[in-house]
Amino acid sequence: MDRRTFLSAAAVTATVSGSIEGASAAMAAVRPDPIDFKSNLPATGTFPQKWICGSASCMDNTDPPVHVHWYNPHTAILRQNKAYSYEAPFAPLYFGNDRVLLLDEGFVQLRNDWDLRSVVDSCIEDWCRRNGRDPASLELLVAFSHLHIDHYAATNQFADRPNTRYMGLTHEEMVGFWGMTNFPEERVTLDLGGREILIWGSPGHVISEFAYYDSYTQILYTGDMFYRGRCYISFWEPWFASMQRLIAFCDTHPVTHVMGCHVEISKDGKDYPYGLTYQPDEAPVEMTVQQLREAFAMAKTITKPGIYFTGTVFLCNQTRHLTTIDRNPYKYT
Amino acid sequence: MAEMTMNNACLTEKARAAPAPSYPNGNPNLPYNPPGVRNTDSAIPLHRNTPVQHDYRSDGPAAGTLGFRWTYGSNVAAKNRDPRVQVVQYNEDTFVLRQNVCVHWEAPFTYLLFGNKGALLIDTGATTDPRHYPLRETVDAIITRWAKARNRRNVPLTIALTSGEDIAQNQGLQQFADRPDTTIVPKPLELMKAFYRLGSWPSGTGKIDLGDRIVEVIPTPGTHKDGVSFYDPYCDLLFTGDFLYPGKINISNDKDFIVSLQRIKAFIVGNPVKWILGGHIEMMFVPGRFYPRFATYKPYERVLEITPTLVDEVLKYAQLVQGKAMMQIRGDFVLYNGVSPDQRNADWPGDLPVIDPPRPF
Repeated sequence: MDRRTFLSAAAVTATVSGSIEGASAAMAAVRPDPIDFKSNLPATGTFPQKWICGSASCMDNTDPPVHVHWYNPHTAILRQNKAYSYEAPFAPLYFGNDRVLLLDEGFVQLRNDWDLRSVVDSCIEDWCRRNGRDPASLELLVAFSHLHIDHYAATNQFADRPNTRYMGLTHEEMVGFWGMTNFPEERVTLDLGGREILIWGSPGHVISEFAYYDSYTQILYTGDMFYRGRCYISFWEPWFASMQRLIAFCDTHPVTHVMGCHVEISKDGKDYPYGLTYQPDEAPVEMTVQQLREAFAMAKTITKPGIYFTGTVFLCNQTRHLTTIDRNPYKYT
Repeated sequence: MAEMTMNNACLTEKARAAPAPSYPNGNPNLPYNPPGVRNTDSAIPLHRNTPVQHDYRSDGPAAGTLGFRWTYGSNVAAKNRDPRVQVVQYNEDTFVLRQNVCVHWEAPFTYLLFGNKGALLIDTGATTDPRHYPLRETVDAIITRWAKARNRRNVPLTIALTSGEDIAQNQGLQQFADRPDTTIVPKPLELMKAFYRLGSWPSGTGKIDLGDRIVEVIPTPGTHKDGVSFYDPYCDLLFTGDFLYPGKINISNDKDFIVSLQRIKAFIVGNPVKWILGGHIEMMFVPGRFYPRFATYKPYERVLEITPTLVDEVLKYAQLVQGKAMMQIRGDFVLYNGVSPDQRNADWPGDLPVIDPPRPF
C-alpha cells in the first residue's frame, strides 16, 4: 500500500488487544454515529474579538503561552502568545471522524519552554469528551504550511506520541507526505474521516509551501504566502503563479475566510515592525476573498522589487531583511 | 580620616606617636598599595560618627570594574526570572544599572554616581510602570545603603537624561516625580540648556557638582536633537547614551552628528577617558554582527565599554555616510543614516572577518 492509499483509506484503528479494560471496550461498543461534515456547509464559526497579543513587559505576561480558540465545535485555532515568540503564528486544528490535522505549530522547540503537545492533547481530549470518542482512536497528523522554523520547530515534541504522523523537513518529504507527484499544480484531497481538506502547492515565500482548504468550514489557509502583514515574497514568479491558483480556486469553490499564519498590522493599517512582542491593536487574522482579489489585482501591476501595500497586506517583493517600512522617529533637520 | 581618633593596636608605636595626618586603617600611600586604594573608604571603620568626606582626587582613573556579565534575557521572554534591574557596582561611588531585556527590549543602561554633596542618576530606563521596572525603588535602596556607609542623612539626587526625547531613556522619570530632595533636569531642550547654562549650544559645556566630583555636560546632538553626554573626571568615564554605543546608531542629523563627534574627539584630547559607556548594547561579540530590534534573548552580546580610540573610527565612517541614505557596518557599531532602523545591506564590508556567532538553539 503506498502512502496515498494509506492516507485515504478509512482509518483502521489498532486491533483491540485481549487485555483491554472493560470501560474502553464499553466505550468502543457505544461509539456514536460519525459526525456529518458534508451537509449544511459552510459550517459556521467565529473568530475571537481579540487574540492574545503579548504585553508591554514580556516577563510580566500572565496569558497562557498559546491561545486556543474554538472556531466551531470541530475546529480549533491556536495562536502563540507574542511574549513567548514574536512570530506568534496561528495553527488550525481540524477534527474529523478518524483523524485530526494540526497545521503549523508555533515557534517553540522544547516541551519545557512551553508544551504544545499537551495543549494539542487537551484539545483532542476535550473534543473526544464532547463527542463521546476515545482519544486513542484518533490519529494525529502534524503538518505545516512551509519549511520555516516558526512553523515546524515543535515537530520533535510529537516524536514519541502514539498514533501520530508528522511531515519530514525536506521538500521531498513534505510533497511525499501528501502524496503529490506534480508540485505545485496538483491538488490532493486529505480525508480526515468525512471531512475533506484540499491541498496544493503554493510556493513564492519559500519553495516548499502549501495552501490548505477545509471543505467543512471553507477556510482557505494560505500560510506565509499571503497573510495580514508583510508577505515576504522571495520568488516573484512562483508567488504570482500561486496567487493565480488561489484566485482560480476561489472562482470555483466557496471560501468563507482567507487565513494566514501571522498578523503584523494594526486595525488602522499601521505596520508592526518585525520582531515586535506586543501588538495591542492588531487586525484580525481572517481576510476576505475580495481582499485576496485586490491583492492579486495590485500584484498584476508590480514589475519591480519593493514594498507595496494592497490595503490589507504588504507585498514585500524580494525585499526581505533588506528594508522595512518604518523610519527613525527622531530624525530632525 | 585625619579627624578620626587614634586607638589602633595594629599600628606600630612609631606610627602612633607620629603627628597628623594619621591613618587609622593604614597609610594608603605606602608603596605596596595601588593608587586606587586612596579612593576606598566606605567599608571601614565600621562605626562613623561624622559624615565621611570621600577623597575624589585620584591619579588616573579611579579604580573600578564591570566585573559581571549583563543579564541577557531568555529564549522564552515570558518565563524570564532575572532581576528586573541589574545592579553592577563599578566602584564604591559608581553604579551601573541595566533594565532586563525581557521587560523592555531596549535594555537601557542607567548610571548612578555619588559625590560628597549628592548623587546623579544618568537616564531612567524605558518602562514607566514601577511594578515592571522598579527603578526608583532600586535607586533609593542603593542611596540608602551608600548613605549609611558614609554616615550621611541626606543625599540630594539629581536626575539628568542623555536625551529628553528618547523614550528608551526617559520613561522611568515619572517614578521620581514626587521624590523629595530631588532635582530633575527639565526635558524640553530650551529649559535643559538654561539648566546647564549652555547659552551657546551646542558649544560650551555645563557642570553638575556632586561635591568634589564635578560631572561635565557636553552637548552631543546628532542622534537626538537634545542629546548630551556626561563626563565623570573621577572614574574618567564618558556616558554617551544613544550618541555612541556598541550597537545600531541611528543618526538623526548627520551634520550635527559629525560636529558632535569632533567635539568629543577634541574633548578626549584634553581630558583622560578610560571608557565610553553608552546607553545600550546591540552588537554581538563577533565583529559587525548585531541583534535585531525587539530581540529579547541576547546571549552573545558584546561588552558595554568602548575605548575612546573608537571615536576616530566612528567619525571616519560618519563622514562616509554623510548625505547618503545608507547603513554602514563596522566591527563595534553600525551607522544608519536616513534609512529604516531595520535596513540591511546585501554586501558585507570587505575588511571585516566573517565569523558566524553561535546559534542560540
